[in-house]
Amino acid sequence: MTRPTFVPAVFYKDPVAALKWLERVFGFEVTSLVTDADGKLAHSELSFRGGALNVGGEWEGEIVGPARMRSPATVDGVNTQFVRINLADDLDAHYAHAREAGARILDAPTDQFYGARTYRAMDPEGHVWNFTQEVRVVTVEEMEKATGLKVRTSLEGA
Amino acid sequence: MEARTTIGPVIWYRDPKAAIDWLETAFGFERRLVVEGDDGMIAHSELTLGDGYIMVVGPPREKAISPMQFGGRATQSVHVQLTDSVDEHYARAQAAGATITRAIATQPYGDRVYVCTDIEDHPWSFGQTVQVLSDDAVAEATGHTTKTGKGV
Repeated sequence: MTRPTFVPAVFYKDPVAALKWLERVFGFEVTSLVTDADGKLAHSELSFRGGALNVGGEWEGEIVGPARMRSPATVDGVNTQFVRINLADDLDAHYAHAREAGARILDAPTDQFYGARTYRAMDPEGHVWNFTQEVRVVTVEEMEKATGLKVRTSLEGA
Repeated sequence: MEARTTIGPVIWYRDPKAAIDWLETAFGFERRLVVEGDDGMIAHSELTLGDGYIMVVGPPREKAISPMQFGGRATQSVHVQLTDSVDEHYARAQAAGATITRAIATQPYGDRVYVCTDIEDHPWSFGQTVQVLSDDAVAEATGHTTKTGKGV
């Protein structure tokens, strides 16, 4: 399988516990697990319906220059990015399973103005996950009318 | 709209409009949807490359924050897997002012990779597979143990 173009990397205080949680609650599958000589997790890759995700521990150092990777759990619940997962179908079933399995639900499934049905959940270390499923095709005019916002699909007129 | 890949990052910027312009110039992404509010607010946007897309949003609210407001700390990063021309991509990003945090180099696992931060200090890595290696060959080169496949 070809690797998808974009692969988010998500950082945890306890990445091994996170891997298990993501498998059990969201249905990810660990496809690659790299451990160093001490048995510590160095890198991992998970897959989910054709998408890919990396999970790692908190780290910093010369390898990434000034960047410092932190779990939201160590920085008062702050997030610099979220992960969005586009489901082809069964969003409500995915939601029911995640809730049952202990995910903290931020927003229950709702139909959005842009034609998607979405729900939002938080994992045990505070990362935010947006699940979405397209349920109908919406025109730019419909989106603008629904929101009062300006919608552009290209640079024209920008 | 074409079929979407399953997973994409939602990235928070203090100035999302400037970020979209910069990401197009530096990384070659292309905007296909921008939902814009007042005062430079971006409620939603989609920028594409290859088979994938990212979402640039902002300014940050509630518990969201840009790394540039946060001492360079980040809770996620994005890896971008290119199919070709990673060296040209590297040159383009540098020319646009990306901060290179790891110079481009071929890694022991067979990918040519560079790492940088963008105008608001979000971390990015870009890679291209230049040599396909077995798990054993990677283990020998890195001293790490790799397990792949179901049930690892």
